[in-house]
Amino acid sequence: MHGGEDFGPWLARQLRMAGRTQTELADSVGVTRAAVSAWITGRARPRDETIRKIATALGTDASTVRNRTTDTLAGRPVAWYHRPAPRDGGREFGNAAAFAFEADVSVLAREATQNSLDERLDNGQPVRVRYTLDELSGETLAAFREAINWKELASHYEAAASRTRKVGQVISAGLRDMYTRDRLVLLRVDDYNAHGLTGDDYEDGRFAAVVRRQLDSRKTARDAGGSYGLGKATLWATSRLGLVLINSTLSEPHEGRRERRLIGRLDLPWREVDGKAWAGPAWFGRPDPHVDGDDVARSWWADEETVDRLRLTRESGEPGTSFLIVGAHDVASLADAASPEGEGVDDDSVQRMHQRLVEALGRNFWAAMTSGGGRRPLLEASVRSFRNGKEVIPERHVDPDVEQPARTRAFRAFLEGATVDRLTEAGQVAMTTVPLRVPGREGFGSGGEHRAVLLVTDGDDLDGEPYALTMMRGNRMTVRVGPVPNLPIGTNPFQAVLLAGRAAGDAAPFADEAEAFLRASEPPEHDKWGQTDELRTCYSPSAYRRIAALTREANKAVRDLVAVPQEKRRAGTERLRKRLAVGGRRTGRPAASGGTGIPTLDELNAHIGTDGAWCVTAEVRIPQGGDSRPLVPVAKLDVRSGPKPVLAWAELVALHNCELIDGALHFTSGARRATFSGVTDVSTHPVRTTLSGLVVELRTGKEDKA
Amino acid sequence: MKAYPYRRLAGPVSLRVTAVELKVPGESREPLDTKAFSVVEQVVALGGTGFDDWESARLKLSATIPSKATAPDSGWSDVSVVAVLTEKATNARTVVPLESTTESGREWTGFLDVWRADHRDRASLSVHVVARADGVPGRVIATAQNEWIVDLSAEAPRRQRELDVVIAGFREGPQWRRPFREVPWIVDTSGDVAAVHVNTDFEGLTDLLSGSGSGVEGLVRDLLLAQMCTDVWTAVFHAAVGDLEVEEDGTPLFPHDWRGEVLREMLPDVMPGRPLEEALGEVHRRRTEAAGWIDLQPRIHFAATRRAEMPKALSTTIRGLDRLQQRADA
Repeated sequence: MHGGEDFGPWLARQLRMAGRTQTELADSVGVTRAAVSAWITGRARPRDETIRKIATALGTDASTVRNRTTDTLAGRPVAWYHRPAPRDGGREFGNAAAFAFEADVSVLAREATQNSLDERLDNGQPVRVRYTLDELSGETLAAFREAINWKELASHYEAAASRTRKVGQVISAGLRDMYTRDRLVLLRVDDYNAHGLTGDDYEDGRFAAVVRRQLDSRKTARDAGGSYGLGKATLWATSRLGLVLINSTLSEPHEGRRERRLIGRLDLPWREVDGKAWAGPAWFGRPDPHVDGDDVARSWWADEETVDRLRLTRESGEPGTSFLIVGAHDVASLADAASPEGEGVDDDSVQRMHQRLVEALGRNFWAAMTSGGGRRPLLEASVRSFRNGKEVIPERHVDPDVEQPARTRAFRAFLEGATVDRLTEAGQVAMTTVPLRVPGREGFGSGGEHRAVLLVTDGDDLDGEPYALTMMRGNRMTVRVGPVPNLPIGTNPFQAVLLAGRAAGDAAPFADEAEAFLRASEPPEHDKWGQTDELRTCYSPSAYRRIAALTREANKAVRDLVAVPQEKRRAGTERLRKRLAVGGRRTGRPAASGGTGIPTLDELNAHIGTDGAWCVTAEVRIPQGGDSRPLVPVAKLDVRSGPKPVLAWAELVALHNCELIDGALHFTSGARRATFSGVTDVSTHPVRTTLSGLVVELRTGKEDKA
Repeated sequence: MKAYPYRRLAGPVSLRVTAVELKVPGESREPLDTKAFSVVEQVVALGGTGFDDWESARLKLSATIPSKATAPDSGWSDVSVVAVLTEKATNARTVVPLESTTESGREWTGFLDVWRADHRDRASLSVHVVARADGVPGRVIATAQNEWIVDLSAEAPRRQRELDVVIAGFREGPQWRRPFREVPWIVDTSGDVAAVHVNTDFEGLTDLLSGSGSGVEGLVRDLLLAQMCTDVWTAVFHAAVGDLEVEEDGTPLFPHDWRGEVLREMLPDVMPGRPLEEALGEVHRRRTEAAGWIDLQPRIHFAATRRAEMPKALSTTIRGLDRLQQRADA
């Protein structure tokens, strides 16, 4: 790569950042001030020998000066730069976008992965997303704090945590966890084969959209998932410290470079530190020499060692972005744990977050991860967990066939054209289409009838609740999973998938129109299709009804495919017949009046003795306060049909808590368990003992009248 | 409790029907929709297929057994898995071997042909794991927990069945019914399924039963339905206990058809607080021996009334009449 910037502007910036004058440089290089001025204005170029001297003076090597693709490290260092409070006295106590989401790693997985999916490079290869949890403690934690200049931040955190508002409480809990338990959880989200944060630090572009702006979505793809720019807020919402560090490898060079573009962003509420008021956000970067007045930090091109210390090293030079969420927490998983005290972070929360990430990725992106029909998947995802950089849970690739087997099977059959019209065998996937009448859009054609693809296959509980209809559009992210209503009892469990818009395949009519329509009907959470402001303004106030119609049609089509027939009743007899049902009850109705029951056999040890007799030791459970009438042990042979032959006892012994009177066991009052043993009389065996099973029962004596 | 003179296989053995094909003579096999069977109810319904003259049905089966069965150190050898179709009413028994389809030996598949001529009503389908144990071949070391039902006539794959309702004029039709032409309904428990016959010659009865009127008519209809059901449950209970198969030692067995279901559902109310077998034994003893049968009549009446939801119907009627009365007074 030859010559990043022109020499003049580059040198001027290095001097400014280093806070040095042209005269000072001239003195240390041994030239006149006029010569330096000539370099800066571009009227002259230094010779090679002089370049070496300039390099020494700037504290760098000659090739940096020759290539000028990076700044020297001279001058003001990488540090935290806080945005001063506005002069109008406005105070913001939190990031509104971050409040739109719960601090929930499954929401994060959904939003962040969707962003990665939208940023996929269009080269037929999947975007690879990896979530890494790393729990730091001890020296590793200390070294990391050092790397992020914690000392500079500490006073800001203390000021922010002392406020009683919601954000303050979250921050203070995060600080407490770190200080008292000496522990900090990092969650890193990496994507590869994605665009990376391209573009200028401030002008429109991916970098500015993510790092500088709120609610700015610059997504252009027709089937992009997000359109609100809210998703990135989940990154900061997941951090208890409001702190996210970013390392991006760009797909197209910026300032002549691609790799290790770093910046950190901190979202704190308004605060006062050292008598000065700060607006909220802060950036970790280099002060920008081009901006006068207030300190503004810009991204910098870091060396490998810095990246390593910040725990931001990427596995390859492939473009994409790494987000490091510092102090990651998961409110939802804490609720799941439901500890009786309801306080404190459980030790295995990393394990739980790991599990929840895998589940969330599987649940939301199984279709994007499915390959078939010669096409690679859009997405590959994995999760791994470390403690102080050492692997504690090995990397697990989220496999859609494992996480969502039935739905994945359905989708793959669609991709491979292996669907059937009606289901005749388990494992098949039936396909049909349902209409979506896309309304015309203002100045965008008249709309038309889109045919969404409906897939149905038998499903078991591995996919979550059966009898469900999953809906998605072109980005192949699960939008909504809902139960199919009005199914007759006995209907086989199934999973249904509705592919609408561009997901319905190239042959589907009005796919682009349907895609745009459905995208407009998705709220920021992307969890349903329904009425939205965009739908109302771009289409019509009643346009959302088309979606209700689509759902209705889809449910009906599912029922047509899977609903078991119902017994036809003649009109006149229906009332009577439905009251005359027998059987089919899985559990018996509880009896009208109580009764704690009688003693029952609880354990039976039986073996065949040398003479061929059954030798039996049995334990009886006696219900408390129950019936304690005498019971007669009976031995029979277990036969397949007909009456069971009864064997006589050659010997019957009451061993514990019971007494034998006239062949009946009388139980000691108050006892809960009793034991007896017996040996059968071989002469009463109708067949050889080894040829049949034995049944032992307790019967109430005939003399008993209840 | 049971004991066996050899080691048995612990763990779940399950059976699934995965497809059904019908064979009509002279035609090729026709695959049925998976709606024809229910893995929830575990029932195959062959009645609603639209093929009246089918001769046999081929069920594709899949069984899952614990992998312990085929482990090298299990102590069993020659392990095989068989599907067994039986119907007690016809004494039919069909056994077919399944084949192991996975390396682990857990999944077994195969098919079984159900011949229509061999069966009458409902056949049971089960699966056994058979092995050589202690040198003895052919021992059943495990049996599926669940039995499937193959119903030859039902349209819907449901375990639950309904007693029959016959609507007819008693003056015409079979001879046995004619003497009852004066009564509004009778219960016949002689058939495969108990039936209540409703007499259309009884003026206005069917109109009342099938009518949609509310008000007094609705109240009377619901009360009447409850009364009919009470009669039915009383009659079927008596029919069921009156014809029990008895073991050598006098223990009665549950009938395998609807009678068994009726007993299982009503015995907890007739003999509360006892296990079903025990309750059945007691009822049988009282019926066959001199004492105690009379004492049982109120309990049977109680069970039938409860099953028919008579108290609810009656109090609804009484409240409804009160309300109508108040409205008339106002």
